[in-house]
Amino acid sequence: MRAAAIRAITSFLPGAVLSNQALADLYPNWSADKIFEKTGVRERRICAPDQTAGDLAEAAAQRLFGDHGVAPESIDFLMFCTQTPDYVLPATACVLHARLGLRPDAGALDYGLGCSGYVYGLGLAKGLIESGQVSRVLLLTCDTYSKLIHPLDKSVRTLFGDAATATLVEAKVCETPRIGPLVFGTDGTGAGDLIVPAGGFRQPSTAETGREVRDESGNVRTADHLFMNGPGVLSFTLREIPKAVDRLLALCDVTLEDFDAFIFHQANAFMLERLRRKLAIPQDKFVVRMADCGNTVSSTIPIALEPMMDEAKTQRIMLVGFGVGFSWAAASVTLH
Amino acid sequence: MSAFYDGLAEIFEIDADNISPEFDLVAHNWDSLAIVSTIALIDECYDKLVEGSALAKCVTVADVEALIHLAAAA
Repeated sequence: MRAAAIRAITSFLPGAVLSNQALADLYPNWSADKIFEKTGVRERRICAPDQTAGDLAEAAAQRLFGDHGVAPESIDFLMFCTQTPDYVLPATACVLHARLGLRPDAGALDYGLGCSGYVYGLGLAKGLIESGQVSRVLLLTCDTYSKLIHPLDKSVRTLFGDAATATLVEAKVCETPRIGPLVFGTDGTGAGDLIVPAGGFRQPSTAETGREVRDESGNVRTADHLFMNGPGVLSFTLREIPKAVDRLLALCDVTLEDFDAFIFHQANAFMLERLRRKLAIPQDKFVVRMADCGNTVSSTIPIALEPMMDEAKTQRIMLVGFGVGFSWAAASVTLH
Repeated sequence: MSAFYDGLAEIFEIDADNISPEFDLVAHNWDSLAIVSTIALIDECYDKLVEGSALAKCVTVADVEALIHLAAAA
């Protein structure tokens, strides 16, 4: 059969480091150790003021081309998952198409999902490849949430970091699918629980939206900044993700024991551990990789998956993305 | 109830002996982080999900326990 498969993954982190100590200096009653204990994050990487999601994604793609001997002219389709595009229009994917030197007959598009975006991207790439429309998809992910976060909002600044990843998905002849089955889910009633309220066309930025307010927990933000209802996001996650995992297991007709590893969106260490225990996933199969980069939105899953690409053995891995929207997706992926 | 009280003590970083139904949450930094931790604790101890907005209105541990009973009855 003609199956879509992950051939290579690379990541790119910007240079500036935001440490727990730097944050502890800003937030009274929070020590660097307490921030690590509560989030599982030691440091996050932050892009420069003049650095965009397009810049980071280009760097990740160039690294993929260089490290894996992939010619830009061999790419048939570019997908860019971002919620922090370079422009309102055109699509950043079109700009990246030119900067990366892709063929004129290669497609390019942006799609605006967050923490579920990588799994959705794999599903879309699989559809394009297995339907015979294209043979090679370059799937890029990047968000620069640091540009959306108020410096005095510890509820989100302690969690999020900037990063980009590039994944090459290509057609392969094999006996079983390499990507999939997949399951998807959406609950738009949770849109307000993780949102930048102003700056779009529903509520354009004005002097009023730029007015700072302090919430009951002491965090400061404006309507132009990222807002997260932490309890709402946790409730959604604990309610929906176990159901999505059960749906995926039923679709695959397997049990948890049949998977070699589990990579869930690296939201924060506390939420991950609660999910792991609720699902009874063994600790040694549950990948946690966020201490040195934080929650990088759509890039967390490929960042955790990247080191596993070097392992020679065939591995069946469950990927689960969930967050802003609310939107979620889970997939079974076989490497090698 | 002891696992739940032990968990609350951990959240508020105090000795478990200090947790009782009358324990005043608001006087002990009942912020969004504490509420998030309590949602997870209730899920772990009772396999029930309570809403953050309802938890935020709780003033004492007894109020939280009443919410858990409501969730269990639903």
